[in-house]
Amino acid sequence: MLQKMKKIQVMGPKNDLQSVVDVLYHTGTVQLEDVSKTILPGDTILRKMDFTKAGDLTTILLKLGGIFLSLPKVPDDLLKQAHITEDLQKKSQGEIIARANEVVAVLESTTKDLAERKSNLEFTLNALDRYEKIIKKIQPLESQLPVLKGFEITVVLIQREFREVLELVRNALIDITRNQFELLSADMDEATIATVIIFNKKYSEQVHSFIFSQNVNEIRMPQEYLGKPFIEILQMITEKKEKTIDEKTAIDHKLTELSAEWYQELAVLKKVLEDRNEEAGVFNKFGQTEYTFLIEGWIPKKYLDRTKEALSNTFGKRVIVLDLKVSPEKMDDAPTFYDNPDIVKPFEFLMQLISPAKYREVDPSPILALFFPIFFGLMVGDIAYGAIILVFALIMKKKFKTEIWLQHLMNILVISSIPAIFFGFLFGEFFGNLGEMMGWIHPMTFLGVTWNRAEAIIPMLILAIAIGVFHVFLGLSIGIINAHTRKSTKHMIEKAGMIIVITGLLLVIGASAKMVPEILLLPGVVMVVIALPMIIYGGGFFGAFEIISTMGNILSYARLMAIGMASVVLALVANKLGGMMEVAIVGFLIAAMLHILNIALAMFSPFLHSLRLHLVEFNSKFYEGGGKMYQPFRRDNEGDKSMK
Amino acid sequence: MVDFGIPIGAGIAFGLGALGTGIAQSKIGAAGAGTIAERPETFGLMIILVAIPETLVILGFVVSTMIMIMLV
Repeated sequence: MLQKMKKIQVMGPKNDLQSVVDVLYHTGTVQLEDVSKTILPGDTILRKMDFTKAGDLTTILLKLGGIFLSLPKVPDDLLKQAHITEDLQKKSQGEIIARANEVVAVLESTTKDLAERKSNLEFTLNALDRYEKIIKKIQPLESQLPVLKGFEITVVLIQREFREVLELVRNALIDITRNQFELLSADMDEATIATVIIFNKKYSEQVHSFIFSQNVNEIRMPQEYLGKPFIEILQMITEKKEKTIDEKTAIDHKLTELSAEWYQELAVLKKVLEDRNEEAGVFNKFGQTEYTFLIEGWIPKKYLDRTKEALSNTFGKRVIVLDLKVSPEKMDDAPTFYDNPDIVKPFEFLMQLISPAKYREVDPSPILALFFPIFFGLMVGDIAYGAIILVFALIMKKKFKTEIWLQHLMNILVISSIPAIFFGFLFGEFFGNLGEMMGWIHPMTFLGVTWNRAEAIIPMLILAIAIGVFHVFLGLSIGIINAHTRKSTKHMIEKAGMIIVITGLLLVIGASAKMVPEILLLPGVVMVVIALPMIIYGGGFFGAFEIISTMGNILSYARLMAIGMASVVLALVANKLGGMMEVAIVGFLIAAMLHILNIALAMFSPFLHSLRLHLVEFNSKFYEGGGKMYQPFRRDNEGDKSMK
Repeated sequence: MVDFGIPIGAGIAFGLGALGTGIAQSKIGAAGAGTIAERPETFGLMIILVAIPETLVILGFVVSTMIMIMLV
């Protein structure tokens, strides 16, 4: 069912505007509308509110965000935060901003300085780790290095896959240094080679510029490490690392202290100011007079009292809520709010595939929730398949709790698997004909027909078409209700005419095929003759062509039988092929694999076709769509919470 | 003598339906893939659109079954 909507106006003194908007934002029930649409041209008393977002709010939010990121996270103390929030809500916007400025003044420079120093120390630690790793790797080469004064050492790192660059470097160094160099390599790790180059200092500039031009990763050691034995360098690195870690720990300690003192207030200030910033964005939708403001919006009828109460609790009689009388035609502008019982909710998800229903239309989701599982069950119609689909859906639901769309889909499968098991009993199917072969179950006889799907093809076809006739007639009947709601007599007559023509045609076909008494032939012809002008009156000359398309729609329900039969035949093939194998285990495996394939198809194909029968064959008889979804003014992630 | 006309007729009814569905689905599928690349949120709608021509093969199947059952 679509929820009944009300259009309201909220009025009060301008001084309270900010707080009223805040209350509405936290109640989260009103979809705000632009008041300027209702202001008459030339109205000098009521005018649009001009409001530009305060720049200081954005600036202070940025600063708070920066401080918040620098401080280590502390668990939220909800009680303390609620207390701070309560205090803040009592203050005016200016006072809240002033408090935020005070907090920023105390914390900004300290946290910024500490965070910067911490980041520098982390950078130093990373560099030291790198030097240590390289030196440890090239340490075994130390004995091979010539001890020469006036020579310089540099290290380059080369990716193993580009090792041919080494040859290029060697050749170039021969030219640059006139062969006064040494080049030694050692494996750094699986992907990298560390190469030590010793060369005469007088060629330093050319060598470095050559290495740079080759885009080779050169590691330049700090000045203090140059010319020292590797063992000594390693010791210096270890000492410096210890010192850096101590310094970093001290900074962490200071940040933790700051966090313990300020985190809760900061979190609240940030949230409150974010809300205020968000709220400021909607002020342009409001109207104003000299001393009062005017807010307009849509609200579901069931939330109206709660919202009125929230406003009167805070503002008493200063702020009033007017429940506007809206003409039925204007109600077409009301937003669509699907609000069905829990069992229908998953099917609302499927309705998202098409544009939302208009406010005054009949909501098709409850009908979808009733017929979708029946159609699915008719097509799957196997006890074992139904049970496996049920278990699969329950496991998926448990495994992917955070994926909302998957939860909806799996809920639909859970609901639909029940009719599948039920029809499995009717058709006597358990893994196709396996249950029957084993003597566990037999197709039931009902209305004089044994409902064995592999053999009762014609009765199944008639059943499918009969369901199609009923479903399409139901769609046309809803079409009449929709046309009645918008007082469109022509459409009502067209839909009624269509029901009569189709009934007449079915009687004519039935009587000709001797499926119904021949005496009904004449009434059938009369019905067609009478109702045809009704269709032409309602839908024009081309409306008559709709008869053919509606007949096509009804025949399309034959898929209920056809897809089910394809599934039965595949199950029979699986059992037969499995039974033909001489080695039992091989036969079992083949049958199991084919059944698994069939179950996978059974989950996909009947789902899709059941949905398609609703969206294409059924909905086209009445559904218009083009509505707007209800989007209340509230904090995004608190939507569901505030609605309950 | 075996009458081949009935199974051949049933085969034509089913086969042409399947061919028609295939041709239609290939075009809708190609256009749908392009649409999904631009607007991934239309995935669900595209699946429905691709399934629409399947009516042809299903009606073909029904006709061929009726030929087989009613005429044999």
